Amino acid sequence: MNEIKLDEIDKLIISKKIDQAQLELSKLGSEFHKNPEYLFLRSKIFYMNKLYYIAIDTLLIALEFKQEDKIYNLLGEIYATLGNQGLSEKILNPALRFEAVSSVKDMLTGIYKIS
Amino acid sequence: MIKLFWNTHNQITPTSNDPNKEDVFDHKWGIYHKHYSDKWIFYLLEKIQYQKIESEKDIDSGDVLIIVDSSVEKKNDLYTKLKLICSKVFLIHLGDESGRHDLSPIYNNCNFVWKAFCTNRYFNNEKVNCLPIGYKSGVVLKNKKNDRKYKWAFIGTPHKSSRHDLLFQLSNIEPSFFYKTKNFNEKIIEVEEMSEILSSTTFIPCPNGFVHPETYRLYEALECECIPIVENSYKYYDRLFPSNPFLKVDKWQEAKNIIGAWDNSKIIKKKNDCKIWWSNYKKELQNFISRKIANE
Repeated sequence: MNEIKLDEIDKLIISKKIDQAQLELSKLGSEFHKNPEYLFLRSKIFYMNKLYYIAIDTLLIALEFKQEDKIYNLLGEIYATLGNQGLSEKILNPALRFEAVSSVKDMLTGIYKIS
Repeated sequence: MIKLFWNTHNQITPTSNDPNKEDVFDHKWGIYHKHYSDKWIFYLLEKIQYQKIESEKDIDSGDVLIIVDSSVEKKNDLYTKLKLICSKVFLIHLGDESGRHDLSPIYNNCNFVWKAFCTNRYFNNEKVNCLPIGYKSGVVLKNKKNDRKYKWAFIGTPHKSSRHDLLFQLSNIEPSFFYKTKNFNEKIIEVEEMSEILSSTTFIPCPNGFVHPETYRLYEALECECIPIVENSYKYYDRLFPSNPFLKVDKWQEAKNIIGAWDNSKIIKKKNDCKIWWSNYKKELQNFISRKIANE
């Protein structure tokens, strides 16, 4: 059921119906706050709205719950947009990405971590 | 009689039965405001003749009360009582960075409220006005010269990705001053030294706070006649301060281009714009508060 809802929201985002997607996401309750797919979709919208840093913070939290290619890829894309090519390339490289993200997270004291 | 009661430090004493440590934070923040928000608030109330009181026992029937408080959501009984005793209650509500509480039961007991850390619902509210969080007490301009030692400075905790990127983007621009702290309000740099550093710096990047866009850094930068560079997320500052002259960026790379490229004449003009705007804004806010308290 949850996956169907999130799939529908993703389709809205793909068809650029951002306001509607945002509205649907806001209707989802706190049980979604640790759902990596939900966090990924929120991050996509943040990114489209030029809220780059909130998008990154959200993806870093999503990675705590699931290590997924699409999360790393979006993270890499955002760092490239910000002009940090070095970090972007590391995150897009499957052999380097885990270590690259871990070292970023180690520097950030305010990102949720599953201890 | 108008009385002023500072009540931020009177909070529930934290106990071990507080699993989320909420009382610990409220207590800590209440004391922080008592020590470090006082100069800003007293400045705003400068045009009002009031008597300072130390306890709610000093409130008499019919008094007009200005109460400066935090964590008010836990003080329902106090505010219900104040409404019964006082002829008018004006609340200056500090803290509440997350804005997650329904404050209407408290605010309904007040004639008017000034709330720090503004949120959507208060931008155009008849009874509640947004109050800038202001500067830390003791931060003052030390140097009036235009020629400043540092191009940019940052003192703070790199808790999230914005600050991490800020340091990445700006680290090659010299001369600069940056100091990373592990926690908020960590006593590494005293206010006196902070004033010296800010007064010797041209640009102050002001990344968003931990929960809310506003930080004390912006107002400290303005007090020290620096040029603030703020994040433009949600156009927060344009909604809080329409026609403000701050530099606004979506990403810190844009700040890098400004700090690295602006010539002296451009810098002096923007510095002056910010200085005049802040001076006028403070005076207007001071007048608005005194008028509101006199006429409400």
